[in-house]
Amino acid sequence: MNIVKSLLAAGLLALVPAVAITQQAIAQDAAAPVAAPAESAAVPADSAANAAAPAAETVAAPERMKPTPGIGMPQPGEYKIQEQFSPTGRQALWMHNNLLLPVITVISLFVLGLMLFIMVRFRRAANPNPSKTSHNTLIEIIWTVVPVLILVVIAVPSISLIAEQYKPAPKDALTVKITGYQWYWGYEFPDQGIPEYVSNILPPEKALENGEPNLLAVDNRLVLPVGRPIKLIITGADVIHSFAVPALWFKLDAVPGRLNERAIMIEKPGVYYGQCSELCGIKHGFMPIAIEARPEAEWEQWVRSQGGDPKGKAGAAAATTAAAPAPAAPAKI
Amino acid sequence: MAQSAVAAFDSPVQAKIRRTAIMALSIALGAFGLGFASVPLYRYFCQVTGFGGTTQRAEADTGVKPVPGKTMSVRFDSNVASGMPWQFRPEHTTQTVQIGARSFTTFIAKNMSDKPITGSAVFNVTPTQSGAYFTKIQCFCFTEQTLQPGQEVRMPVIYYVDPKILDDPDNKDTQQITLSYTFNPVEPSEKRS
Amino acid sequence: MTTIAADAHGHAHDHHDADHKPAFFARWFMSTNHKDIGTLYLIFAIIAGIIGGGISGLMRAELAQPGIQYLQTWAQMMEGPDADITKAYHLWNVLITAHGLIMVFFMVMPAIIGGFGNWFVPIMIGAPDMAFPRMNNISFWLLIPAFLLLLGSTFVPGGAGNGAGTGWTVYAPLSTSGSPGPAVDMAILSLHLAGASSILGAINFITTIFNMRAPGMTLHKMPLFVWSVLVTAFLLLLALPVLAAAITMLLTDRNFGTVFYDGLKGGDPELYQHLFWFFGHPEVYIMILPGFGIVSQIVSTFSRKPVFGYLGMAYAMVAIGVVGFVVWAHHMYTTGMSVNVKMYFTAATMVIAVPTGVKIFSWIATMWGGSLSFKTPMVWALGFIFMFTVGGVTGVVLANGGVDDVMHDTYYVVAHFHYVLSLGAVFSLFAGFYYWFPKMTGRMYSEVLGQLHFWIFFIGVNVLFFPMHFLGLSGMPRRYPDYPEAFAYWNKIASHGYEIMSVGVLIWFVNIIWSLTAGRKAEGNPWGDGATTLEWTLSSPPPYHQFETLPVIEDSAHH
Repeated sequence: MNIVKSLLAAGLLALVPAVAITQQAIAQDAAAPVAAPAESAAVPADSAANAAAPAAETVAAPERMKPTPGIGMPQPGEYKIQEQFSPTGRQALWMHNNLLLPVITVISLFVLGLMLFIMVRFRRAANPNPSKTSHNTLIEIIWTVVPVLILVVIAVPSISLIAEQYKPAPKDALTVKITGYQWYWGYEFPDQGIPEYVSNILPPEKALENGEPNLLAVDNRLVLPVGRPIKLIITGADVIHSFAVPALWFKLDAVPGRLNERAIMIEKPGVYYGQCSELCGIKHGFMPIAIEARPEAEWEQWVRSQGGDPKGKAGAAAATTAAAPAPAAPAKI
Repeated sequence: MAQSAVAAFDSPVQAKIRRTAIMALSIALGAFGLGFASVPLYRYFCQVTGFGGTTQRAEADTGVKPVPGKTMSVRFDSNVASGMPWQFRPEHTTQTVQIGARSFTTFIAKNMSDKPITGSAVFNVTPTQSGAYFTKIQCFCFTEQTLQPGQEVRMPVIYYVDPKILDDPDNKDTQQITLSYTFNPVEPSEKRS
Repeated sequence: MTTIAADAHGHAHDHHDADHKPAFFARWFMSTNHKDIGTLYLIFAIIAGIIGGGISGLMRAELAQPGIQYLQTWAQMMEGPDADITKAYHLWNVLITAHGLIMVFFMVMPAIIGGFGNWFVPIMIGAPDMAFPRMNNISFWLLIPAFLLLLGSTFVPGGAGNGAGTGWTVYAPLSTSGSPGPAVDMAILSLHLAGASSILGAINFITTIFNMRAPGMTLHKMPLFVWSVLVTAFLLLLALPVLAAAITMLLTDRNFGTVFYDGLKGGDPELYQHLFWFFGHPEVYIMILPGFGIVSQIVSTFSRKPVFGYLGMAYAMVAIGVVGFVVWAHHMYTTGMSVNVKMYFTAATMVIAVPTGVKIFSWIATMWGGSLSFKTPMVWALGFIFMFTVGGVTGVVLANGGVDDVMHDTYYVVAHFHYVLSLGAVFSLFAGFYYWFPKMTGRMYSEVLGQLHFWIFFIGVNVLFFPMHFLGLSGMPRRYPDYPEAFAYWNKIASHGYEIMSVGVLIWFVNIIWSLTAGRKAEGNPWGDGATTLEWTLSSPPPYHQFETLPVIEDSAHH
C-alpha cells in the first residue's frame, strides 16, 4: 500500500465534513454486530416468541401470529400451487392456471387421443395394407407453425411477467438483508437499526405446541409489513442457499460473495412458510423460512420492540450530499 | 481386428478416416480449451457489460458531468466471510447522489482479533443491470487491506453513477443501487483450520 | 425412405470364417468387436441400473412417510454404530448424488450410446466394424475404473460423513470448501474417466458414420437411429470437454488453492453453474436423442410404413442439438441473473418445443395409415411417445422464467425430468432392448412377459412420478430427506409406485433369463416387411464379422 498517499489522503479526510452523523446513528452503529454470527454458538437462546430480543425501549412485541391452516403452507394431499399473496404471485398463478396448464393439458390429451384413434383405426386387423405415404408438405408446415404460434401466445405474458417480477423496488421501500448460513437464516433491517438476528428451525415438539407445521416452524420469524414494497437483498455466508416462499412466488439464491436483490409486496397479513431450495449440505432440509406479515402499525410496534426505529435513520440521507468532492484513502482514527 | 474393419476400405478412405478422427479430436480439444478460456472470457464479459452487477472502474479525471436535477439513491451493504474476525460496516447505509457527480462514502473496518489480518473485498451492485453504470474511481477494494490487532480504519469509496443510466430502458425503474462488499481473509490466520 | 437390398452373398459366404470367435478371455476382455463391446456396455448398464435403481428404492423407502425412518440405520451400517443423525443426513445427500450420477453416466449413456450405438450403428450403415475397434475397447474399459471410483467414494470421508454429498451437479462452493475429504475428488475423477470414455466413443462414431457407410448409403438414406447417434456424438464432443474443464477447475480449487469458483476470493460460483449447464443441457439431449432414433425405427417397423417426413425428423434432431447449446441457463433462473438474460433464456428454451413437436407429430403421422401390430417393442415405443409428450409439456411450463420461480428446485422439476428420462429415455431403452433382443441373442423374448413388463412398469412409473408434479406445485423442495406432514399423501403414493415399478423390472429379469435359456430361436428378420434396416438382412445373431463384402444400397422408387 502506498503509505505516503494514504497519509496525504488521511489529512484531507480530516477536512471532510462527514461529522453530520447523528448521535442516534452512532449509537446504532455501535450496537451492530459483525454481519456473520460465527458459529452456531451465535444462535439465540431458544425462544418461542420474538419477545425475547433485547429491547432498548420497553415496547412489547406484538403477540406471535398464529398461522392460518392452508394459507402460506402446503395442504395435505394438495395438487396445485399454493394460494398467492403478492401481486406478481397472483399474476404468475393466473398465467400458470389459466394459460399454461390448459395448453399443456390440451396438447397432452390431443396427442393421447390421436394415438388411441390410430391404435384402433390402423391396427393390423383393421388395416392390413399400410399406405406408403411419407410426405405431406402442408401438414408438416402446419405442425411447425401452430406450435410456434402457441409458443408466441405463451411468451408474451411470460416475458411481461418476468419484467414485472424484476421491477426494482422504489427507493423508499423497506430494505431487508437476508443471509443464508449453514444451516439457518439471518435477517437484518439496516434502515431500522435492527441488527442481524438468526432464525432457526423449531424442534418438532415446540412446533406442535405452537400449532405450527413441523419442519416449517422457526423460532424468530422474518416480520414484514403488508401492503408496502419491500426490497430483499440476499447473500450467502458459506455455500449457496436459496430463499424461497411459495405463497409469495419468491425464490432467489443466496450466493456467497455476491448480493442478489428482488422486490416483493405482501398483500395480506399472515404467516408464510418456505424452505431452503438449493442443496447446501447436511441440514439443507432443516433451515425453513417463516415470514410473519403484519399490518403497518403492528409491524412498527414489532420494530420498536426490537429496539429499532420504524421510520429509519433520518440522518443517513442528509449526511451525504456534502461529502462529494474530497478524494481520500484509508485513514486511521 | 483394428485393421480388419478398416481394411475393407481402400487407402484414400483410410486417409479420410484418419482426417475425420483428427478433426473430431480437435473439436473435443477445442471445447476443452474453451472450458478453461471461459474463465477470463467470463470475467471480461462481466466487466464490459456489467453482467451480474459487476461495477466499472475509471481514472480520476473522467470528464463526466453531473446531471442537474437527477438523483439516485445508493445503498451500502457490508459482509465479512465466515471466520474473518473483522467488524465491517458502511458509515451510512444510504446516500442520495446526483447522477454523474463524483460521490464519496466511507466504510469502517475493525480488526477484532489479536493478530494482524489482511483482507480483500469482493463486491457487486444490484439491480444487476445497473452494474454497467456504477463507476468507482477509488476504492479500498482495489487493493488488499491490512489491519493490526484492534485497529479500526475508515475506508473511502469514490464513485459516480454514469449519466448514461438515464438513457437505458432497462434501468428506467432503478431508483436505488445497492453496493455490496464482502471482506475475506487473504492469508487465513492460524485460528482457522 | 429407401428399401435396402443387401448383397445377399455379402454376409453368407464363408460363414465359418466370418463367425470365428476368439477364446473367452480374449473375446470379452480384449474385445475389439463392436457387437461384443456393445454387449459389454449393455451388461454394464444393467448392473449400474440395478445399483442406481436400488438407491432410488432406498430413497423412496425413506420418503414413504414423514420423519427419518431408515437413514440412521443405514448410516450405522455404513459407518459403524455411533453414526449420528448428521451422518444420516449426509448419507441422504450421498444417495441422491449417487443415484443421479449413476443413472446418467453409468446407466443411460452406456446403454443407449455404448450398447445400442455400438451394436447397430456399424450394421445399419453396412460397415464391418467401428473405425477404431481398439479405441472402442478402451472406451468401454475406462468406464469400469470410473464406476469403481464413484462407488469407492462412498467409503471415504466427504464432509460430515462418507461419500460425496454434493448432488450430481457438484455445485461450488458446496463441492469445494463445503466438502472436505477425498470422496468428492474421487467422484470428480470418476466423471473425468467417464467423460474421456464418451469422448473417445464420440470420435469413433463420427469417424465411422462419415467414412464407413456402404456404397449407396448416403447421409440422407441413413436410418434415423444412425442420425440420432451422429448428432449425439457431436453433442458429446462439444459438451463433455467443457464439463471436464469445469470439474478440473473444481479439483484445483479443492486441492491446489485456486479460486476459480470462490466468490469470496474473486472467483464466481455462478461460473461453475454456467459451465456445468453448458454441458448439462446438451447432456439431456445426449440421453434422449438416441431414444428418438430407436423409437423412429420401431414405429416404422411395426406400422409397416416408412418414417413420415424423414428429412424433417433428421434435421429436427440437428436443430434440437444446436438449440440445446444456447438454452443452458434455464437451469439457473433463480441465481439472480439479470432480467434480459432471463427473458432470452425463456424465449430460447421454448424454441426447442418446435422441433420436438415435429418429432412427436411425425411419429404419429408414421403410424397414420399404417398397419400396426402391438408387439412388445411397439408398446414401449408408444408409451415413450406419450410419456415424453407429458414430460415435454411440463418442460414448456418450466421454460417460463417467471413461472419457474415457484417450481425451481421442487419436485415439479423432479417429475419433469423423470418423465423425459425415466419414462422417456428408459422406455426407449426397453423398446430398443426388446426390438433388438432377437437380433443380439438369436432368441425370441417372451411376448407375454414383455407385455406384462410394459404394463406393470408403465403403471408403476406413472404412480411413482405423476404425484411428484403435485408435490412440486404445492412447494416440496428437492433433495430433502424429510418433509412436513402435508406432503405425506403423495409421497406415500409415489413410494407405492416404486414398488409396482420394481415388480415390472423383476419380470424383465425373468424374461431375460427365460428367453436366453428357453426362448424360441429367432430368424434373421422376426418383424416382417416393416423392418427395412440392414441389421434384419443378417442372421440372428449376426455373424461375428459381418459385411466382409460391403452391401450395396439401392435407391428406392418412392423417395
